Amino acid sequence: MKKYLSLIRACMTDNMSIFKINGKKRSEFSKKILPIVLAFICFFSIWSYANVFMEPLVEVHMEYVLLTLFAFFTCILTLTEGIYKSSSILFNCKDDNMLLSLPISKYLVLFIRILKFYLFEVLYNTLFMLPAMVVYARYIKVGISYWMTSIIALLILPIIPIIVSCIIGGIISLISSYFKKRSFAQTVITMGFLLVVLYGSINLENIIKRIAENAEGINEIITKLYFPIGNYIRLVTNFHFMDLFIFILTNIFVFTISIILFGKVYYKINSLTKNYKRENKNNKYNYKRSNKVIALIKKEFNRFFSSPVFITNAGFGLILFLIGCIGINLKLDSVIEIMAMQGVTITIEEIQNLISIILFGFICFTALMSSITSSMISLEGKTFNILKSLPVKTFEILISKIVTAVVIMIPVLFIGDILIFIKFSFSFLEMVMLIIDSIILPVTAETIGLIVNLKYPKMDAENDTEVVKQSASSMVSVLIGMIMIGITVYGLYKGLETGLESYQLIIYSTISYFIICSILLGYLYKIGVKDFEKISV
Amino acid sequence: MIEIKNVTKSYNDKKAIDDVSFNVNDGEIFAFIGHNGAGKTTLIKSIVGIHNFEGGDILINGKSIKEEPVECKKQIAFVPDNPELYENMRAIDFINFICDMYEVKKEVREEKIKKYSELFEIENNLNDTINSFSHGMKQKIAIISALAHDPKVLIMDEPFVGLDPKAVHDTKEIMNEMIKEGKIVFFSTHILDVAEKLCSRVAIIKKGRLIKVGAMKEIKGDESLEKVFLELE
Repeated sequence: MKKYLSLIRACMTDNMSIFKINGKKRSEFSKKILPIVLAFICFFSIWSYANVFMEPLVEVHMEYVLLTLFAFFTCILTLTEGIYKSSSILFNCKDDNMLLSLPISKYLVLFIRILKFYLFEVLYNTLFMLPAMVVYARYIKVGISYWMTSIIALLILPIIPIIVSCIIGGIISLISSYFKKRSFAQTVITMGFLLVVLYGSINLENIIKRIAENAEGINEIITKLYFPIGNYIRLVTNFHFMDLFIFILTNIFVFTISIILFGKVYYKINSLTKNYKRENKNNKYNYKRSNKVIALIKKEFNRFFSSPVFITNAGFGLILFLIGCIGINLKLDSVIEIMAMQGVTITIEEIQNLISIILFGFICFTALMSSITSSMISLEGKTFNILKSLPVKTFEILISKIVTAVVIMIPVLFIGDILIFIKFSFSFLEMVMLIIDSIILPVTAETIGLIVNLKYPKMDAENDTEVVKQSASSMVSVLIGMIMIGITVYGLYKGLETGLESYQLIIYSTISYFIICSILLGYLYKIGVKDFEKISV
Repeated sequence: MIEIKNVTKSYNDKKAIDDVSFNVNDGEIFAFIGHNGAGKTTLIKSIVGIHNFEGGDILINGKSIKEEPVECKKQIAFVPDNPELYENMRAIDFINFICDMYEVKKEVREEKIKKYSELFEIENNLNDTINSFSHGMKQKIAIISALAHDPKVLIMDEPFVGLDPKAVHDTKEIMNEMIKEGKIVFFSTHILDVAEKLCSRVAIIKKGRLIKVGAMKEIKGDESLEKVFLELE
């Protein structure tokens, strides 16, 4: 037993240190204050959101539906994220050689990897679920049994979505291992799965939004769809020790059986994912010379397109932006209907009046939430030393990373712009401004991402998921993006209230972001370069 | 010429390199030896500009790595102890990438890549991605990319680890060719026999401090380098 605990501890120590910073002395801020600040902001945002949800439910005395909904969305989030994270967490890990050579059961290795994944998900789910649990307790008088059940539910509810996402991740890895362009195949299949899950959850959301009049029905649908949520809600409304015992046992049973069954094919899939074929007999080589920065950009593109989790994380937001713009262009009536179902009533005339603001909001949201550069330094890993030994200026290296990310984003944003320009009438000035925004906003977002990654690099990750999804850098970047979106939306709202025209607001916003972007690039040139030099691998 | 002047480098207040000074002259193969954790890799990484160091300076042909890092790096090629390359790149793309960084002309890189890939018998594998390569093949790619830009100073950290006997022999031949052209080869190694036969000068480092530096003959006298090294323990 001591051996197993020691193994688990060894495997966990490095990976769980989200705020570990390589090559730098950790300040008190990064060690203690930053995680608390991040957790507090998350908690407060979700707590406010949960309160908004709760008000109509109180009127119909169905407060427990709040817990059902939050538990359901948390599980959907775990499932969708798990689909593209699991391939990278479970297969072709850097510690394969060490772990697989140890005299331990192969099921234990699989268990440890799923456990790591599980612990991160519990951490994230707690950030989402806990505020809802607190809001519920604010409206309903609860006892110790409520808190006990809720804490157990936090631990139990992610189990099945994690198992399902691991199995889907396994299937994706298995299928893509037969393709020559493995990363590309993996990305396409993963995106396909994610769009299916998204489509399903959007349709469910349409039903869920009719909360007040049909709350019981929604509760039934969700609890039948995922039975542990039903068990949890039953325990919250009518606590019995025996039910709690059954709740725990069923999930542990499902987890154990899944590990045993999945373990039977896990090693086969894992060895297939490592099987890189060397069958290229062509010895005609291209010796074409490139400019230094172009060569650096090519290298960054190679890295980006070799990592399915990286592409999916960055690309999913861009695809949604594109789908949104195509939807507005081709099926505006349906978009208005969907918005009405979400409780947002808007006419075509109102959309026409506000379209430049709406498009600006879309661009802003897509750019600030799709930070690619927040992982680019960390993903260098041990190859970071190659960059440091090259005879190029550090700022050129940093700019090449921003340019790569921007080049990935801008074409998608331009296509979206054109689709909206075709559908609605814009003044020439508005079109020019929105095109400029489609450049400035990604540059701003990617500069922020890079600055944050230089502050919080994670150079010793076992896999890309740890960097792209589970690192301090990616979380802080998303948080800064959310704050900036909030400030922008508030500014636009206040501007409209004071009677400013749409085109004026777009001009002011563009100028503001241009100034912010210039300041950030200046900061990158002065401070970012020094941060780069300080990183040690 | 490499001039290492009173270099000091610390990690968390512990000195990894403590006031180290020595020179490496043009046309010299210079061995840098010491046991594990002695500070060899730290000093090498400081010379090539990977690590910052708080005390002293390092000059490459008169230029300071602190003041003019890009100019210094243009003259250096570095082969690390563990070939951590861009795994998802094809080997030819990786070598071309390094050549682009050193602004090597198309004709020159073509000639060099052909020459060294044939020498290391890897000429048919350059279109394969690096993640399909063994440790030794990756090491060969690291060496080819280092040599492709015709460096004035070749710095290698444990260059022979993972190489097959023929590749070890070829690497030694390349080193000898380079010094005939007046270039510098500076490498760390634990294989003392190789250092003894190949190098004209040697430096021995222990716990971050330089304990011996000089001509190989002076350092070892009539003894073997291994014996001298062990006596210094």
